Amino acid sequence: MIEFRGVYKKYGNGTEALRDVNIHIDDGEFVFIVGESGAGKSTFLKLIMHEETATAGEVIVNNFRFSKLKRRDIPYLRRTMGIVFQDFRLINTMTVYENVAFAMRVTGATRREIRRRVPYILQLVGLQNHARHYPPELSGGEQQRVGLARALVNNPALIIADEPTGNVDPERARDIVELLTEINRRGATVLMVTHEHSLVRQFSQRTITIKDGTVVSDTQNETPPDGMSPLQPAKQPVMLGGDQL
Amino acid sequence: MKLSSLRYLIKEGLRNIWQNRFMAIASIAVLVACLLLSGLAYLVYANVEHAFDWLYGQNVVVVFAETDQTDEQVTAIGEQLRGMENIDSVEFMSKEDMLARYGDSLPETTYSSLQDENNPLPDAYIVALKDLTIFEQTVTEIQAIGGVDEASYDGNIASTLLTVRRVVLVVGAWMVILLLVVSLFIIANTIKLTVYNRRLEIYIMRSVGATGAFIRIPFMVEGMTLGLLSGGVSYGIVWFLYSQLLKNFPTTASLFTLVPFRDVWLILLIGFLGIGMLTGMFGSIIATGKYLHKEGSEKA
Repeated sequence: MIEFRGVYKKYGNGTEALRDVNIHIDDGEFVFIVGESGAGKSTFLKLIMHEETATAGEVIVNNFRFSKLKRRDIPYLRRTMGIVFQDFRLINTMTVYENVAFAMRVTGATRREIRRRVPYILQLVGLQNHARHYPPELSGGEQQRVGLARALVNNPALIIADEPTGNVDPERARDIVELLTEINRRGATVLMVTHEHSLVRQFSQRTITIKDGTVVSDTQNETPPDGMSPLQPAKQPVMLGGDQL
Repeated sequence: MKLSSLRYLIKEGLRNIWQNRFMAIASIAVLVACLLLSGLAYLVYANVEHAFDWLYGQNVVVVFAETDQTDEQVTAIGEQLRGMENIDSVEFMSKEDMLARYGDSLPETTYSSLQDENNPLPDAYIVALKDLTIFEQTVTEIQAIGGVDEASYDGNIASTLLTVRRVVLVVGAWMVILLLVVSLFIIANTIKLTVYNRRLEIYIMRSVGATGAFIRIPFMVEGMTLGLLSGGVSYGIVWFLYSQLLKNFPTTASLFTLVPFRDVWLILLIGFLGIGMLTGMFGSIIATGKYLHKEGSEKA
């Protein structure tokens, strides 16, 4: 669950990035965050990830109330979320497997847990045959699926995808959103920032529009045009095994 | 923390060193130079102290009683000397002993004519002092004892050594402090470079919820290993050079005998390894602290 109550964010240089933002996102929702560059989308995500703190107002994420959050609690807040970046942020000196295992390793998982979990997640995103490849050997779409696998591997309740389709071609972009939809269907809350209106239209989901630091619209489940269903099967195998991530 | 995690973190720390090996070698070289200078300061100090120890054994004051003193009065002088705080030992030397000791240098006839009542020498006490820093004050107190004619001594060496010790202590201490700061700076900069090179990994670690300790430990391992390696190398160099030096100095006890290596090796070893390790640890805390504490500073 994400809740913003009268949130303001003003940076040291005087830029007012967010103004009186009030948002409530329930567990299990899929939400698109849209807006122009500089509208405040990144600041909105940074506040959720606790990379920045609000100047005023209250932020609550996955039952962590930020006004009362201690520094030592921040890692535990972040374990409840998985983050997918536009530029993938993969470690090029690590294989696909190692990139995903790394996210587990740094939260204290044992080798056994890692050996059991990573292959499953790689299979889930359709990369089981690329485990030993290095990120530069993969296409943009495949790299983003590694990023998605890394975000999923610790089984977070919330997935934050910051322009995840920004660096992949349109066909693969659709696959990525299909995967996120599938992840959402299995119970995770998904928050996807994008400025690709075609994707938003294609996948009928709740859409929050931010402009000049304020929420200008919050629409529920827009019907996709052209009769396209958001749950059409993806080009890549996205679902394996049971319903749980 | 789980054992497997700790093993992983130590391995990561050692990997940091390997990936950044040229900088690691450079910082070890600078650290070794700093530790060697600190070791030199300590060795100079240890040798001055060693010279003092020798001097304590050698530096005696001969207290002559006035020639008109009766045996009882001479005994009373001895008692007073023994009662003084800064006196280590008092040895009585009668005028007959004195004549016997120095008579060898006299012609036989002169020596014979100076026996018994003709003996012009006074009774004396050979006094060894405990603390040479109050040498002059003690001699003045001895001379103030009734019946004491003269307290004969050579205070020059003592006062010179005292000055040397003071200078060594002050200069040495400042030098060690300065070198410690330099070492900290060097280690911190090396680790900052590793932190910078691994900023993407650190960012990912933070974003998936790694704790501060988990992020910091590999860098502490890196710093402490660099420090320990520097300490070990410094100890080896000092051991080799000092052993060579010892060969060129007299071995029989004198003011110029060097303190044997067996008397300083433990302090040097603990000092080098300890200073190296602590410098490494604090250096890494400085390097990571600034970088990791800032919110949102971890952009790749």
